[in-house]
Amino acid sequence: MAKTRARKPRRVLSGGRKRVLVVLFVPSVQRDGATPVDQSRWVDSSLEMFGRVFGGATAYPKAKGIWRDDEQDGALVKDEPVVVHCYTTPRDIQDDRNLAELGSFCKRMGREAQQGEVGLVIGDEYFAIRDFGEE
Amino acid sequence: MKKRLDMHKIAKALGAERRGKVISTGGYFGAMQVLADAEARFRVPAGGGRPTDPAWTERRLVPLAPRTLKKLEEISAKVREHGMNVEPMQLAALLIEKTTEQLSEDQAEDLVRPRRRASR
Repeated sequence: MAKTRARKPRRVLSGGRKRVLVVLFVPSVQRDGATPVDQSRWVDSSLEMFGRVFGGATAYPKAKGIWRDDEQDGALVKDEPVVVHCYTTPRDIQDDRNLAELGSFCKRMGREAQQGEVGLVIGDEYFAIRDFGEE
Repeated sequence: MKKRLDMHKIAKALGAERRGKVISTGGYFGAMQVLADAEARFRVPAGGGRPTDPAWTERRLVPLAPRTLKKLEEISAKVREHGMNVEPMQLAALLIEKTTEQLSEDQAEDLVRPRRRASR
């Protein structure tokens, strides 16, 4: 009788499963809620960064958003953010160099687009970047 | 067992504040996270049929309350809106695996530790 071996599931791609979702909110207005930012430039830059660092991303059509600026007496800032999704691996999202690139991008966007906060969701946690000092 | 992400390290490296968890079993982000899991795991079997995780080789009957099944149906419908065809019980399997992986040894011990009963 021919011997049969239990087949192991084949890995389609190397580098582990892309099971971590990273979500970045690209704003449409500055912190004052009125001055528009060059959103399409930031969307394109974020896609390039996610593509280069994590292998890909998707930008969804504009959404409607609101943010409470606690440093400005709780003023409500309304905007139309573009939500960018990137699926990556646990290894890649915890890699020091990748995190440095992601952090650097968020700080640059926060600084140049005059934001009060840049929001990121990684896995099941929300991260707020508020200090945009030059690295 | 899969390791959890080191959120402290991620926050430090990003220069970010951790603002708390997003609900992982419901709502938009829950559905998107499930979608990410399903897309990463599911493959069409060699002989055809519904995409599934090739590692799911064991089958058991799982008792459920009707409200739980309803919730599973609602979430899987949300995930399907994003183009991933996941069935309610496939979603249940994903959630069981996710919770089991995230349960620390201490939490598991708490679950099985006999509870003190109030006695007068």
